[in-house]
Amino acid sequence: MSERILSASAALAEALHEEMSRDERVFILGEDLVAHAGIFGQFKGIPEKFPGRIIDTPISEACIAGCGVGSALTGMRPVVDFHFSDFVTCGMDELCNQAAKIRYMFGGQVKLPMVVWCPDGAGLRAAAQHSQSLESWFVHTPGVKVVIPSEPADVKGLIKASIRDDDPVMFFQHKRLFAKEGPVPEDPEFIIPLGRAAIKREGKDVSLLTYGSGFYTCTEAAKKLAQEGLEAEIVDLRSLKPLDMETVAESVRKTFRAVIVHEACLTGGFGAELAARIQFELFDFLDAPVGRVGAKDVPIPFSPPLEDFVLPSVDDVVAAAKAACYR
Amino acid sequence: MSDDAKTLLELYRRMVTVRQFETMAGEYFAAGEIPGFIHLSIGQEGSSVGICSVLRPDDYVATTHRGHGHLIAKGADLKRMVAELFGRETGYCKGKGGSMHIADFSLGILGANGVVAGGLPIITGAGLSIKLRKTDQVAVVFFGDGASNRGPVHEAMNMCSIWDLPVIFVVENNQYASTTPQSYSCSVGDICTRAAGYGMPGTAVDGNDVLAVRAAATEAVARARAGEGPSLIENKTYRIRGHFEGDPQRYREAAEVEAWQDEKDPLNRFHQVLTKKRILTKKKSQQIWDEVKARLDEAVNFAKESPFPKPEDALADLFANP
Amino acid sequence: MALEIIVPKLGLTMEEATLVKWTRSPGEQVAAEEIVLVLETDKVTYEMPSPGAGLLHPLVQAGSNIKVKQVVGYLAADQAELNSLAAAGPAPAEAGPPSAAPKKAAPAPAAPTPTGGAAPRGGRVMSSPLARAMAAQHGLDLAALTGTGPGGRIVRADILKILEGGPPAAAAAPAAPVPAETGLLTAAQEIPISGVRKVVFKNMHLSLQTQAQLTLTTEASAGEMIRLRERLNQAAGPDGPKIGYNAVIIKALAQALKKHPRVNASVNGEVIKVWREIHVGLAVDLGQGLIVPKVRQAGLKTIPEIQAELDRLINLAKRGQLMPDDLALGTVTVTNLGAWDIDHFTPIVNCPESAILGVGRIVDKPVAKEGQVVVEPRLALSLSFDHRIIDGAPGAAFLKTLKDMLEEPLLML
Repeated sequence: MSERILSASAALAEALHEEMSRDERVFILGEDLVAHAGIFGQFKGIPEKFPGRIIDTPISEACIAGCGVGSALTGMRPVVDFHFSDFVTCGMDELCNQAAKIRYMFGGQVKLPMVVWCPDGAGLRAAAQHSQSLESWFVHTPGVKVVIPSEPADVKGLIKASIRDDDPVMFFQHKRLFAKEGPVPEDPEFIIPLGRAAIKREGKDVSLLTYGSGFYTCTEAAKKLAQEGLEAEIVDLRSLKPLDMETVAESVRKTFRAVIVHEACLTGGFGAELAARIQFELFDFLDAPVGRVGAKDVPIPFSPPLEDFVLPSVDDVVAAAKAACYR
Repeated sequence: MSDDAKTLLELYRRMVTVRQFETMAGEYFAAGEIPGFIHLSIGQEGSSVGICSVLRPDDYVATTHRGHGHLIAKGADLKRMVAELFGRETGYCKGKGGSMHIADFSLGILGANGVVAGGLPIITGAGLSIKLRKTDQVAVVFFGDGASNRGPVHEAMNMCSIWDLPVIFVVENNQYASTTPQSYSCSVGDICTRAAGYGMPGTAVDGNDVLAVRAAATEAVARARAGEGPSLIENKTYRIRGHFEGDPQRYREAAEVEAWQDEKDPLNRFHQVLTKKRILTKKKSQQIWDEVKARLDEAVNFAKESPFPKPEDALADLFANP
Repeated sequence: MALEIIVPKLGLTMEEATLVKWTRSPGEQVAAEEIVLVLETDKVTYEMPSPGAGLLHPLVQAGSNIKVKQVVGYLAADQAELNSLAAAGPAPAEAGPPSAAPKKAAPAPAAPTPTGGAAPRGGRVMSSPLARAMAAQHGLDLAALTGTGPGGRIVRADILKILEGGPPAAAAAPAAPVPAETGLLTAAQEIPISGVRKVVFKNMHLSLQTQAQLTLTTEASAGEMIRLRERLNQAAGPDGPKIGYNAVIIKALAQALKKHPRVNASVNGEVIKVWREIHVGLAVDLGQGLIVPKVRQAGLKTIPEIQAELDRLINLAKRGQLMPDDLALGTVTVTNLGAWDIDHFTPIVNCPESAILGVGRIVDKPVAKEGQVVVEPRLALSLSFDHRIIDGAPGAAFLKTLKDMLEEPLLML
């Protein structure tokens, strides 16, 4: 299978082109999508190629989400663009009380094939209401899936899988990584199944379990750790729900140490859920406590030194990994 | 538009079905057969039957926590409804939804909703779906005077309006939102006047006159099917029972309730109309009531004999692709 | 104001102990300096004198684990004060927490620990789940191990060191199960393995498990040693300490170690620590179990000084007043079984030391000398040592030096 280098943004657009060509029920709706193909240009080429299937909405998040629900219930496969993940709060009823629950509450009568695409993450000095990582809220909501790609190939493979999935999927893609480039397969059937993690760096000394922007932080940390003779294994989770616990277990059984890294704030972050599962399911394999690295528990501040302080750094990951190795 | 006798009798029959169903539900709830809580629409049959009577099976309806009447009016299966209220596995939702979450997608019923005004964004999506698929279906959403003040209502009306979606907004103003009178909570006495703010027609209708409701619905549906966009119908009615069964109802006078139960009651009024037209005799009326009762009894027996779901079934039906 | 009875720190490394018993009853009048309680560390049993006079109000039940500086009781000035103390918290009547043999305090590393504690908590072995599973798999006793993790936690690396250091002992062969009692075989007595017995139990096993031990034997001519002892005793006169053979042997041992410093060493992780000081322990059993009091800096002492030190230590031991500092941190051990007519034997190294000298009886024996059979006093010497760090030849050379010094004391000068 041949690959070429694409940005994450281009990988997303390519995936959507492919899926919209393949299935005429797929359409996109959200705010400010047509004029610039999305505020990040993430839907480049789509307004021209699929007129009428990428729809600008008023600023009405509840109804935008509700539109996703209603159209998914009546034969369509919507991709709802939420503009900034921070605004999920304006549509939480539709996402968590409706989308997540409808299939179950109605006894399995229907499927709800909706993808909610949310650009998230910090580091752009966009401050508290445009910088959050909110995946935990949806991990905690039964009935909705949570997918978080890191590299461009993951973006493509996972968005295609999410669109083809018949259940509501919250898809969080980091804003700062849109321009990040990486090899992306050309195959239009390249799909990464949901619930499949990837071991992206092998190592014997400590397992770094991460997703999204955390993957890049861990990659840098692994280089620094290698200089000190510690080989870190990086497991990119890719889906938080469904979660590939088997790959996590395989890694921890090998290294005996785990550090979970995410950009979301520490308390109640996904690391807490995963750490609980690891200590419960892999207790006898742990030579050290399971570490977590996340943002500090404050809203994301604006000024660069403040934001940089709050967000997890490469050095934070290195320190946590070393602590787990008793160095 | 004038309906023939057959149609009128069918309207009456449906109203009787709703009335008997709700009454039966109230009795069984009081007897402890129905877990949770229920919200009865006794006194509002004019609205539910009047609106749904002009819809096709493939038209969509989204309703509320007080949705039994709309479901029955749209043609839902009584057995499966009662079984769902009783929490049995033969219910519409296999016991997972209960009174507030009954749905029948084969009839376009997108579900009752436990979140007030929850159906409006969803019906907007159904309307958008109709437009994208280029069919001539319409989508109806019921909501109450209390719901009319929620944010998503505003968003939905605006969105349906800018896109000319085939949506009919039916606000059943039964004058109380739980304990709060509509006269207190709404900035306007006639909720239908808000429609003008969204560039769509809004009509106030005597909700307890089933034929008046039916007429308004006919017009709105025609408009929607023609692609001319949404409408708002305000059915003025009254909630005879409490907000929920067991509501102490200290927020209103018993006299007020009684006043709505005789001449103003929609069944009584329609009965009179039909009697005057000589379409309904006492005998015929009794026959209808008995037939409906028999169907209901059958439904109740079906429910009573149905098993409860197995406890571990609680884990099923979460995802289509587990 | 009531007087506090506080657990003393009896040695440099002491952190905790077991309160064996109160020697007086609650409410009893105790005089200053009277023994009020008995406590036990893994090295000593200590009878503690009362810090003052008063009516005893114990706070801690006999058998409990106690910590250095812990207030274990009060001495009330009068009945009124005793009553108010009793009201605040009655003397414990129920059984307190079971006393585990307090483990050796492990040095806390500088790294911050997740739990915030720097020292091991009383009675509990800190180990990672993985280390625990590995120890169980290999039949290792965690309580006998020292951990290098934060707060003294035993971690995988510590277990690996043990496993790489010695044969995976009890892993394949579990201890032979004791038969169930029937009418044919019944226990006349059931003695709990605790206190000093527990320590010896663990250390003996650990020693053989972790070291590669062998024993070399030789026999020295004891004549010069006997003469040396006589002359020293004469020189000391009737008031001087009565020199015994152990003192002579310890002197010779220390001097021989100066020439063979590698024998005065210990394995520490990946490193052999060759000690600067020579602290010779003498194994003694005074009926309370095996203890090994140390003669400090034996290489710098004269034989009479060594004897005086031995006398002091034995005296304290007999009175149960040895301090943990008298018993810890030795570099080599001597064990003398001559009194029981033992000649050669295979003593077990007192780990973490690396060598132990077993001394037999002085006994007349026929010996071939210049073609003739003569009878002379002979002394059997058995040296067990850790072949991981002391090879056969160097070990033998050391033993020869020792033997030569005993046969020719002038070599010790």
